[in-house]
Amino acid sequence: MGEKPGNESKTAAGMQVSWVAYAAILVVGLLSLFSLYMGFINYPDNSDIAIIYMFIGAAGFAAIGYMLVRGKPASAKNEPLEVKKVEVFTTLECPKCQQKRVRDFKRGDYVFKDDEPCTRCDGMMMITKIARKKEEDGKKKDESNWL
Amino acid sequence: MVLLFGQILQTQGTDLNTILQMLYSFAFIIYLFYAQKIQTLQMLRQIEVTLRKVKTVKEEARNQTIKTLIEIGKPTGDIAPRVDRFIDFFSIGLESMDPAGIVDKMDHFLKTNKHIYEAEVKVLAPNATPTERNNLENLIEVSQALNIFYKIIRHYYLLGKKTMNIYVIMQVHMILPQLVQMVEAYSSGIQAFEQGMPIGDGVGPIVAGKLMHGYPQRDIAEEIVAADVPYEGRTLVVFKAKGPGGSVGNPDEGLINIIEEHKGKVKIIIMIDAAGKLEGEPVGQVSEGIGAAIGGSGKEKFKMEEVTNKYKIPMHAIAIKEGMEHVVAPLVEPLFDATDKAVESVKRIIMDYTEPGDIVVIAGIGNTIGVGQ
Repeated sequence: MGEKPGNESKTAAGMQVSWVAYAAILVVGLLSLFSLYMGFINYPDNSDIAIIYMFIGAAGFAAIGYMLVRGKPASAKNEPLEVKKVEVFTTLECPKCQQKRVRDFKRGDYVFKDDEPCTRCDGMMMITKIARKKEEDGKKKDESNWL
Repeated sequence: MVLLFGQILQTQGTDLNTILQMLYSFAFIIYLFYAQKIQTLQMLRQIEVTLRKVKTVKEEARNQTIKTLIEIGKPTGDIAPRVDRFIDFFSIGLESMDPAGIVDKMDHFLKTNKHIYEAEVKVLAPNATPTERNNLENLIEVSQALNIFYKIIRHYYLLGKKTMNIYVIMQVHMILPQLVQMVEAYSSGIQAFEQGMPIGDGVGPIVAGKLMHGYPQRDIAEEIVAADVPYEGRTLVVFKAKGPGGSVGNPDEGLINIIEEHKGKVKIIIMIDAAGKLEGEPVGQVSEGIGAAIGGSGKEKFKMEEVTNKYKIPMHAIAIKEGMEHVVAPLVEPLFDATDKAVESVKRIIMDYTEPGDIVVIAGIGNTIGVGQ
């Protein structure tokens, strides 16, 4: 049969493989660092060899940087992907006296529903608006203002 | 220790240096050959992380669906196996090798599909009201969509892992941000369909509702209601899907019936629908144009174009712009406020393009969940 919850070991194996990749990067990084160090140590006595060492070290870091930047898609941010619950409010208005009330949304609410008696007059308050509260984190900028 | 090692190397002379240099060169040659492999593994890792997240969302949607079905429908017995079976339900697309008559085939196909959903939800939630049943159908559709996303990403992930072919892996890796965006959009719809809240796609029905509220209403097609509204000497025939359950109705049949009812003597048609915004456009921007403002399978659009072409009736379109993340998510305030602007646009178009005594048809297109009339 297809992939069922029992195949966790397979995905876990995938995780191990990727740790091999990270380990390879670490090894290359350490070698590059050591190569740079050797370059600096050898520079006064043997500048030709030192330059080769430094070149190898720099190339190693460049390769690591390239690997890390290129392989990172926009989605790989550490933001959790989860089912978000948002706060939704219901606005009620009395068509007779214009009394307005805002409360949390409850199941069964819908726009244009005659919901509850008005507390000020004998009219029925109607739901005129159901919307979710604005995001307050300020993460999302409205690009249209500056473009 | 590094300093000590360096000193030893210096004292040992050039031989050790040469050996080390060769060792480094060898390491870099290895890296040169295996760089792509390492990159492949890294991409696989990123796909795996996303896959795990999608799996979490998919399972939460499934659990929420079962919980809501039990809460509202009060079924007897365990419904989980039946829900799981239905979440895996598929529909085979039509063959378009010979496209003649495909619209009627599509009509039949969509009606069959709808019938299946209605029948399944009726069994799963026997005590639910028709409005609740519509919402539950939508909720199951969200679970199905998330399940399909999960299965597709998993397919490419496992195929990539099996073949270690960078081009197989890249196919899904490249579209991963868009897939995540779509999964996020669907996941935000769970709360809306579970609770029966208006969604971003419901702006069209809200505009129609604002125009027809308080006037006598009649059923003119399956899940479509209409009302005759007098306005500045004109007669506006406003129609929308019958709310507040989650439904889009059959707006094409509604439009055809209204036009035939008036023997084609309709001056203009104005359609209001939610439309995808381009990056940079503000949420809730109201734009005007011409044509049939309706998405879906294309069947509705085709039939609407056919009837308007038959009677040569101009079609005006009003689009309320929103992002992909708003379509099935609980309605955001700028979108609700945009419906007032759209009502103003409708009135302006009527005044600009019609004369007193004319008949104007106004269609609020979209899912009417959480919106009455």
